[in-house]
Amino acid sequence: MASLIACPHCGPRPKEEFTVRGDAGITRPAPDAREDAWYAYVYLRDNPRGRHKEHWHHTSGCRRWLIVERDTVTHAVYAVTDAAAQGETA
Amino acid sequence: MVDFALVHRPALAGAKSGSFGAPATGNRITLAALPEGHVLQVLGSKGSAGLEDLIRQIADGNQTAARAYGPGQWFVVGDATLSPTEIAGKAALLSGKASIAEQSHGRIRIGMSGGSVEAVLAKGTAVDLDRAKFPVGRSAMTLIGHISALITRTGDESFEVMVLRGFAESLWDELIQMSLEFGVDARATV
Repeated sequence: MASLIACPHCGPRPKEEFTVRGDAGITRPAPDAREDAWYAYVYLRDNPRGRHKEHWHHTSGCRRWLIVERDTVTHAVYAVTDAAAQGETA
Repeated sequence: MVDFALVHRPALAGAKSGSFGAPATGNRITLAALPEGHVLQVLGSKGSAGLEDLIRQIADGNQTAARAYGPGQWFVVGDATLSPTEIAGKAALLSGKASIAEQSHGRIRIGMSGGSVEAVLAKGTAVDLDRAKFPVGRSAMTLIGHISALITRTGDESFEVMVLRGFAESLWDELIQMSLEFGVDARATV
């Protein structure tokens, strides 16, 4: 239980409670985008070294999607925010 | 035509009961299966805020009946069984700001009390259960070992753990195991 993620709703929780989806910076192409754009969206990922933003789901807690900004080398966590825009949720 | 009668059987009816572990330590744990009354999952609709007072209105008046476990998400629990009409009446009170999903059949409540109850739960979860940080009425959805559960403080030395029905007996056995060093009295029948 070493790696703690500070969920903005639940407080610090061990990483075992979360599911990682991956890069939070990827945007979905338009429905009529070319095949290579869709290929890149579905399959191609960078493997960055250092600061990185990811989508994490607090599966065993509040069940909210979060954006976790962390360092992929040191696993230092810089910021954790809810993925929904401000005021969009109850 | 009904081919066979459905018999409602409490989830913990066949679970281990009795006294286990260390002899009288003064810090014994009491485990009790709680009545399978009502468990209502209440979800706030998009954009609605400040629902706490509204949620309290559909609860049975018990201080720890309405349990928040995330933004716009609550469990409202109680010992009394509710008819579909009564639940519909509660849904009407929410006037579209939140919806109710009936979960009474799907979640089981286990009561835990004793001087060392925080020490026992700390073996399974990383949530800080200290009374200053986790006062009476506070809830947290978390993992106890690998089982997802909602922990609620109901008193200075008592907690309630709510778990999916199918995991109830497994968690029950684990809670007994976790309590052995203090001694535990487990009562599986309501």
